[in-house]
Amino acid sequence: MHTATRDTGAARQAMRWSALDERTEWEGFSRPLPGRADLWESYLAIEGMHCAACSLTVEEVLQKLPGVDNVQVNGASAVARVAWSPGQGRPSAWLAALQRAGYGALPAGDMLAAAPRIQAQRMMLWRWLVAGFCMMQVMMYAFPAYIAEPGDISPEAQGLLRWASWVLTLPVVLFSCWPFFSSALRDLRNRRIGMDVPVALGILIAFGASSAATFDPASRWGAEVWYDSVTMFVFFLLSGRLLEQRLRDRTAGSLEALMRSLPDGVERQGADGTFERVAVRRLVPGDLIRLLPGDVIPADGTVTAGESQVDEALLTGESTPLQRRVGSAVIAGSHNLNGMLLVRVERAGSETRYAGMVALMEQASVQKPRLARIADRIAGPFVLLVLLASAAAALWWWPTDPVHAISVAVAVLIVTCPCALSLATPAATLAAAGALARRGVLVRRLEALESCAMVDTVVFDKTGTLTEDRMAVTVSRTREGTTAAQALLLAAALAQHSLHALSRAIVQAAGTVMGSAVDVTEVSGQGLQGHVAADAGGKSYAMRLGSAAFCGAPTDVQAAGGPQVHLSDEQGWLASFEMDEALRPDARPAVGALHALGLQVQLLSGDLVAAVTRLAARAGIDKAYGQRTPEGKLAHVRELQQQGRRVAMVGDGMNDGPVLACADVSVAMGQAVPLAQAKSDFIVLGGQLAAVSALLQHARRTRAIVRQNLLWAALYNAVCVPLAILGFMPPWLAGLGMAASSLLVVLNSARLARLPG
Amino acid sequence: MDILFLLIPLSVGLALLIIVALAWAVWRGQFDSVDAEGERILRSD
Repeated sequence: MHTATRDTGAARQAMRWSALDERTEWEGFSRPLPGRADLWESYLAIEGMHCAACSLTVEEVLQKLPGVDNVQVNGASAVARVAWSPGQGRPSAWLAALQRAGYGALPAGDMLAAAPRIQAQRMMLWRWLVAGFCMMQVMMYAFPAYIAEPGDISPEAQGLLRWASWVLTLPVVLFSCWPFFSSALRDLRNRRIGMDVPVALGILIAFGASSAATFDPASRWGAEVWYDSVTMFVFFLLSGRLLEQRLRDRTAGSLEALMRSLPDGVERQGADGTFERVAVRRLVPGDLIRLLPGDVIPADGTVTAGESQVDEALLTGESTPLQRRVGSAVIAGSHNLNGMLLVRVERAGSETRYAGMVALMEQASVQKPRLARIADRIAGPFVLLVLLASAAAALWWWPTDPVHAISVAVAVLIVTCPCALSLATPAATLAAAGALARRGVLVRRLEALESCAMVDTVVFDKTGTLTEDRMAVTVSRTREGTTAAQALLLAAALAQHSLHALSRAIVQAAGTVMGSAVDVTEVSGQGLQGHVAADAGGKSYAMRLGSAAFCGAPTDVQAAGGPQVHLSDEQGWLASFEMDEALRPDARPAVGALHALGLQVQLLSGDLVAAVTRLAARAGIDKAYGQRTPEGKLAHVRELQQQGRRVAMVGDGMNDGPVLACADVSVAMGQAVPLAQAKSDFIVLGGQLAAVSALLQHARRTRAIVRQNLLWAALYNAVCVPLAILGFMPPWLAGLGMAASSLLVVLNSARLARLPG
Repeated sequence: MDILFLLIPLSVGLALLIIVALAWAVWRGQFDSVDAEGERILRSD
């Protein structure tokens, strides 16, 4: 996020990797190879692979290293699996070798967690393939019975066809249907009635009655078999489940990939006084650590030597970098910007303020309000009604004709097919999630789309969410005879020598750096001075850039409020630049769009009240609250919820984590800290605020379509169930009706796959 | 028509064999990344 954090030379890079060689670190992305006591397998995510040939190169590079037994690279997922012996090899050597070959690599510990998911996916796929294949074959055997006139088929041939169908339906019932049976059993054990209860019952009754007809055709059951209905029914249901599982796993996988990172190492003073690189988790209170510019501060502590600016925006929302000197406290999770610091560790690991915030977040997410899903509310009573109706129908017909009674009961169970009902919500939310993903919104929790449509208040965080992670020049004042653009170019020539946030903003505002500066020195806490030449080879002047006192700026150009930078030359004050946080270009239109949807928009920040109010005015937000701690933000949103409001929270920082976890709907920006993303329902990639209003709008459309689907399912059942009870609907027609009804629901939901406009 | 009494059991056996073949393909990971399989032919080894 900060350019300074990426400013790492090859030597520092190698030092960061060395932390990987500690056993506690590499165990995070490795596991012992089964059957080989001395070998482990590790997973690395490879960056910069573009084609199949690349995976071959990566394999060759790693294969040649000492201790490496065997390497496999998956080109599609860009993950390398390395089998190696810890006695002879070092993971940091792999990263260095890959770097030389032109590839980046990160430990991919998430691949260990992905293994069971891949197993589950393969299992589901196999169940689906078995059901599909058997369905097709059973249809073949069923076909003669549909077209033959009575007496056309000999009883022996009919018995043969039924027997063949039975053999092929058996794997479907015993294997493919297992998810329905186990879920129905679980429901019954918990004394609940779920969608899978009538499904399981329908399958069992239809298969049982058909089996009786097959093995004892002379009995009173012998008139009818329903193997084709059963297999088709199972195949359709499994298709829906398979699609749902695929999409869920894909989002889960891409999110876990976001969390891949190198272990955090830090330079700690050893007993002999020299500094050595160790993993952050080995720090204990009392350690002395050295922090270079760009380092993330790994523990809470006190500065014992050095001076630097520290960015605490992710933890507190405070937008301006803070000066830290000997004796000041620094907190874990903040960034050291421009000076070297020696810090005495006071609290490490779970004791830090950062860890406290993580705990608060966990606690808040437990108390998150959960809206009952529409379909779940309807499902219980509906399913009970179906079961009662089918039992009543069977009882009614039993005295006259038991075969017909079974046929009617199965028809009722199948025709009501919870299919349409159970597909109504997932089909719509899946289609909507796909469309949103193309728009740059990742849906982490599908259920949240339903709550999203009920939202009436949107609360934004300020720093990093509404603003970009930099400062911008808002007002320039100059001495007569100099234009703002000229002054900015001169200032940029000096500013390019500093890592200070305001200096970086000046360089960015100037666009190109024309002049050059020599003999530049940084006067700590004051500013920069040096000799600046307006153009190459021209005459150079002594100039200063920094605070008002440093540059001798007159009081009438000094503004209250936001930070200011002044420029002076040999004749005194030359120019002043007022700086403010850079508002995202689409912030104002995005807020306008939310207002147009009839939503209340609020700004909630940890920054100073004045800065928050100023920014709210620029973004067009009328309710702004500043100086809120993470606990304060949490209390604010809870209060809104107690007033009966449904709150969507949009944030990015560590300090937003708890409030993201507790809001009805939470949206994290794409560059948000991983922990904030982990607690959010949606992730907006690319920092496009306009996507937030698109998301809310699409959620409302999704709710409308879900309601249409449910209405259709209700109407369909209102017509077909009485017909089935009266016996006008044989199971095959019920199956057809069920399939057509499900198809209609899916097609209606597919309309959500396109975003309007 | 008598041949049906041989052919239909044969077709059942064939169907079961195909299910086993599907299982083999699924558990060998052939459907894990369907897009990548097309590129395999371009590899040199």
